[in-house]
Amino acid sequence: MTLSQKRMVILILVIIVAAVLGRLAVRAFMNFMLGGTLFGGNFL
Amino acid sequence: MKNEGKGRKKVMWGFIYVGAFILVFAASAIIKMTYNPLSGEMQVHWNDTVGHVYSDMAYDDKEQNKFDLYVPADNTKKNYGLVVYLHAGGFSTGDKSDDANMLKWLTSKGYVAAGINYTLRNENNPEASVYTMSQEIKKSIPVVKAEAEKLGYNLDRMAISGGSAGGTLALLYAYRDADTSPIPVKMVFEMVGPPSFYPEDWVTYGLDQNPEAAANLFSVMSGNTITTDMIGTASYDEAIKDISPFMWIDNNSVPTLAAYGKYDKVAPFGTVKHLINALEKNNVPHDYIEFPHSGHGLQNDNKLYLKYIEKLNEYLERYMGRE
Repeated sequence: MTLSQKRMVILILVIIVAAVLGRLAVRAFMNFMLGGTLFGGNFL
Repeated sequence: MKNEGKGRKKVMWGFIYVGAFILVFAASAIIKMTYNPLSGEMQVHWNDTVGHVYSDMAYDDKEQNKFDLYVPADNTKKNYGLVVYLHAGGFSTGDKSDDANMLKWLTSKGYVAAGINYTLRNENNPEASVYTMSQEIKKSIPVVKAEAEKLGYNLDRMAISGGSAGGTLALLYAYRDADTSPIPVKMVFEMVGPPSFYPEDWVTYGLDQNPEAAANLFSVMSGNTITTDMIGTASYDEAIKDISPFMWIDNNSVPTLAAYGKYDKVAPFGTVKHLINALEKNNVPHDYIEFPHSGHGLQNDNKLYLKYIEKLNEYLERYMGRE
């Protein structure tokens, strides 16, 4: 794997993790506000 | 020179990673916040061809004894079904205007819809209880009927509904007061309204461990004096009966559509079993939709929310008739 390929893979991973965490942050906030629980349901 | 260039590239890629993370994190959060998979289901383009709203009609003397009446534009029918929707807010906040979209949606289906306020418990109204609120709702229905008739809409059947606190009040009217209703009650639908008031079920408030707090809270809610030694006895049941919808269920109770979140900490999920058991025991036609991943906001089970709306349409058609 070339250096450029490695960088692209890392970038894609960063994007996926950011997308998941963004949704999760909103869900955590909603659960906090609405009396639910963060890990009580679907992870996403 | 070569190393310097490599270093610069590393730093640049570091910035790219951090920038991409921040950008995607923010975008993902915004999409999650703004995207509402249910928005199309109950959205109505409200205008004069759909219906009219008559706001703040009084049904009694107190400041909050007001209702909004939504009537369909088509006033040519002989009879209409009324759907009452009671607002949420923990018996201490909220307003009928919070449910404008729901009321407009019901009107667009051809029903007359009413959002009714009730005197909330707060520093201005320290005597207000769930019982007094339920009595105000009871008092309002004949006035809603009379005002609708004045406008040319004869009401010959009704459904009552609500969310959270409004859900409890809707259940109370449906099971406790339907017999004396001036309009025959055909069904009730509600979400997350606490249907029972036993301390052992109110664990999220610690009432299972604190009889004194339970006695105080349920005294306030019922408007009756409850002491700790009454808990677990017949006199306790008697004291909370007037605010406990499930206690009024019998073989003649109206069809019920109810939804609750398994992780509800506001209207504790433990209270729900009494309602469902009573409906089952008395063979009352009902549908109970449990949201397994949600709390009080029913916020994490969109597919089940859609199922609830689907069921609601079925119930309205079956029990209220197609308008």
